[in-house]
Amino acid sequence: MQQALLKVIETATQKHGAHYAEARAQKLYKTMFTLKEERVEAAKQGIENGVALRVLVNGAWGFASVGSFENDILLSTVSNACTMAKTASQQLKNPIKLAAANTITDHVEVKAKKNPADIAMEDKIKNISEINKTIQQYDKRIKSCTVDYLDLTGSTIFVNSEGTNIQQDKMFVWSKITASAESCGVFTFSREEIGSTFGYEVFDTQPPQEIGEAVAKRAVAQLSAKTLKGGKTPVVLGSNVVGVFVHEAFGHLAEADLALSGGVLFNTLGEKIGSDLVTFYDDGTVPGAFGSFKYDDEGVPAQKTLLIKDGVVTSLMHNRETASKFNVNPTGNARAEDFRVEPIIRMRNTYMAPRDYEFEELLEGIKSGYFFKSFRGGQTNIDGTFQVGIQEGYEIVNGEISVPVRNASISGNTLETLLKVDAVGKNFAIDSGRCGKGQTAFIGDGGPHIRLSEVVVGGSA
Amino acid sequence: MVAVLEKNEMLAIAEKTVRLAVAKGASEVEAYVCEGQASNVGIELGQVNKTDQIIDRGVGVRVVIKKAIGFAYTNIVNDLNAFEDIVTRAISAAKASKSDSDWKGFAQKKQYVSGLTDLFDHEILEVGAGELVNMAHIMVDSAVQVDKSVLATEGSIGSVYWSNAIVNSNGVCGFDKGTAIECSLATLAKNGHKVTPVCFEFNASRKYKIDPAWVGKEAAKLSVSALKTKTIKTKTTTIILTQFALQDLLSYTLFNAVKADSVQRGQSPFKGKIGEKVVSDDLTIYDDGLYPGGLSTGLFDGEGSPHQKTLIIENGVLKNFLYDNYAAKKEGKDSTGNALRDGYLSTPSIGATNFHIVPGAFSNDNVIRQVDDGILVYYLQGAHSSNPVSGEFSVVATPVWEIKNGEIVSASRVVMLAGNIFEVLKNVSFVGNNERQVGGLISPWIVVNNVRVIGK
Repeated sequence: MQQALLKVIETATQKHGAHYAEARAQKLYKTMFTLKEERVEAAKQGIENGVALRVLVNGAWGFASVGSFENDILLSTVSNACTMAKTASQQLKNPIKLAAANTITDHVEVKAKKNPADIAMEDKIKNISEINKTIQQYDKRIKSCTVDYLDLTGSTIFVNSEGTNIQQDKMFVWSKITASAESCGVFTFSREEIGSTFGYEVFDTQPPQEIGEAVAKRAVAQLSAKTLKGGKTPVVLGSNVVGVFVHEAFGHLAEADLALSGGVLFNTLGEKIGSDLVTFYDDGTVPGAFGSFKYDDEGVPAQKTLLIKDGVVTSLMHNRETASKFNVNPTGNARAEDFRVEPIIRMRNTYMAPRDYEFEELLEGIKSGYFFKSFRGGQTNIDGTFQVGIQEGYEIVNGEISVPVRNASISGNTLETLLKVDAVGKNFAIDSGRCGKGQTAFIGDGGPHIRLSEVVVGGSA
Repeated sequence: MVAVLEKNEMLAIAEKTVRLAVAKGASEVEAYVCEGQASNVGIELGQVNKTDQIIDRGVGVRVVIKKAIGFAYTNIVNDLNAFEDIVTRAISAAKASKSDSDWKGFAQKKQYVSGLTDLFDHEILEVGAGELVNMAHIMVDSAVQVDKSVLATEGSIGSVYWSNAIVNSNGVCGFDKGTAIECSLATLAKNGHKVTPVCFEFNASRKYKIDPAWVGKEAAKLSVSALKTKTIKTKTTTIILTQFALQDLLSYTLFNAVKADSVQRGQSPFKGKIGEKVVSDDLTIYDDGLYPGGLSTGLFDGEGSPHQKTLIIENGVLKNFLYDNYAAKKEGKDSTGNALRDGYLSTPSIGATNFHIVPGAFSNDNVIRQVDDGILVYYLQGAHSSNPVSGEFSVVATPVWEIKNGEIVSASRVVMLAGNIFEVLKNVSFVGNNERQVGGLISPWIVVNNVRVIGK
């Protein structure tokens, strides 16, 4: 396979005028199923084989993907990609350049205690059904529960015209669990996601019954939650919400492509934009975390990137193209969802560093505010406006957790809000999730509990 | 684009797969074959600097053994071994699965409509990279000519062809194909340190008929008008929801509430309310899989059931839900042709085709003129964080435009909107006549009273 891909690349550079060429092939297997209450909707298996070809001609990208490993098809596909790139380059004022990257030859093997490929589908269905059983038996007000399960195994090959040649075995396990409850016309909804680049052993550390109980408990507890009043208020964010806050309110803006597109973090390197307590990383090296991998989809090693230290911006996240524009080294953030699409700058595991507060200390002194424990969605605008939706929250009254609240979200502007971080906890957790930026990426995010002296809370009461 | 698979080739793949599965012992089989080809040029920071071309083909097969369903797919369609392999995998998946006592079989053969037009345009297949690049330049130039503060941050223009074939062991046999071309541009305006939020426009059509110059100009005009801002105070007020905002809000809430499986599983506030008034009299809503030129228009759905026009809400009264074959058979009904599929990669699930809110009498300008005090909402952030069951939302709108005495007086950054979509739809005061399609929604502007807006 490598030989065939190398031949294609050579043709691009020697015959079609490409200054750089790369091929990324995948042979992947997926096992999936969806459980709705007792029902197995369908047990599914998929095969996805294909090649992504990317060339740089006169400073413009040509990308083509095809679900085939046949030589003739690959050769005609790369020729098309070069022609299209040449056409696009005709009025280019700033040709794309790539920052230097080391030439790497490696074969990354997966070492799972329990490789999902070795477990029978029947056993997976039986095991995961425990989640649904637990949820349905939790309370009669539970109306529905849906569990999606997915595991992926296989390998990818990356070769480029600079001599890099990497084979990486791939494996992950993912599951999304949702439940709804209803009582007297009040509807609630609760969800969790589990994801791991370790093996199927993730269900040993997070047993199905525990996951089911957590999801069901929240759906039922929310039935008695009250709508909250909107406005500016102090809040304590649980580490699950902090993860999404870091991801949305800072992470996306620190993606160099968005910074270049007029984002608020352009030209902020070395500037203090947050309180002294704000230190964020984007880290592709956390063992087993959902956003971890050894090499990105440009063949650059993943690394632990310090984004902001004690409130001062220290780095953005780069691919080779943006690294060249900023005259820095690439950070290993180029990721593609699959062979069908080009790599773009994506986060890996993004988190806030813990400090020294106990949870109770964070609540102290808040006369009236909210504790937001668990999120549901979030989104960023490049002008720095962020939104994080909340699926589980509580009122804080005189420094104590009080009644549950529903339908909340927080929003603000990054450049104002990071200055409002006035206390940071000592606990730490990373959760698994997915991020959409045209493509879906598997990511981790997390941190400690924190306090914001004020933020705008959206409520309808 | 490279040579596409013809109708007979697509159907042959589907039929071959069905035969193989029957031979291997499946009691029922359904094969779904898809091809997609797309050519695209991309714009970054005002420059056309990237192109891509995707060719994706595959086949997905569902088999039933003892009322248990297995599914497998592959994207290798030129190799008999690959078909054998997925049939074997689908059967082994079915055997690993559980029997479903509600299973009543795949879709039955039905007649498809004839005479659907404007869904396939040969010219789109012929569009070359050079033409796409030229149109991209026109779009960017039109944007930056509006004002020197405008930056065209990101955009693309691309053509797409798709086809699908479905064959099942009940005699369903269908082939359909379509084309589309789309251009879009995101812009912002920058004046010193002041940066506006991103504004966005697009054009999409099944025929080779788009206007990149209009897209560039409109996106830029919105951005420039958002440069000068005033703060809005927290209040309960009237809001005008444009199609962008509506599509965002409704697709995570109302769309779920009218799916028959949500209703059957107790996840919909509309359960048991057929014949009751559930939203404002001003709203009449169809799901129309046959809408002329619609982006989701086609002959049949992901199970081979014919597309149709289904009345969901008439003058505020709930009339019908959206069904796939499974949910329909559970109630002894017929599918409404709403089994959606993500190409060959997925099994069908219920979804809207073209979700059509019928327009009212008011033009754009008239809509604004009717509002004494309110805000105009284009873009939302965080609609996907809405509660998909209760319909509660708490989102950011930015930028927004404040309206006083029937005129736009100023723009504002970042307000939060919170409420319950089903309450919001009860408070519709009137509906515009400026219908357009955004994603799966075809709708005019809608004006709603009594929405909580949290400003400064």
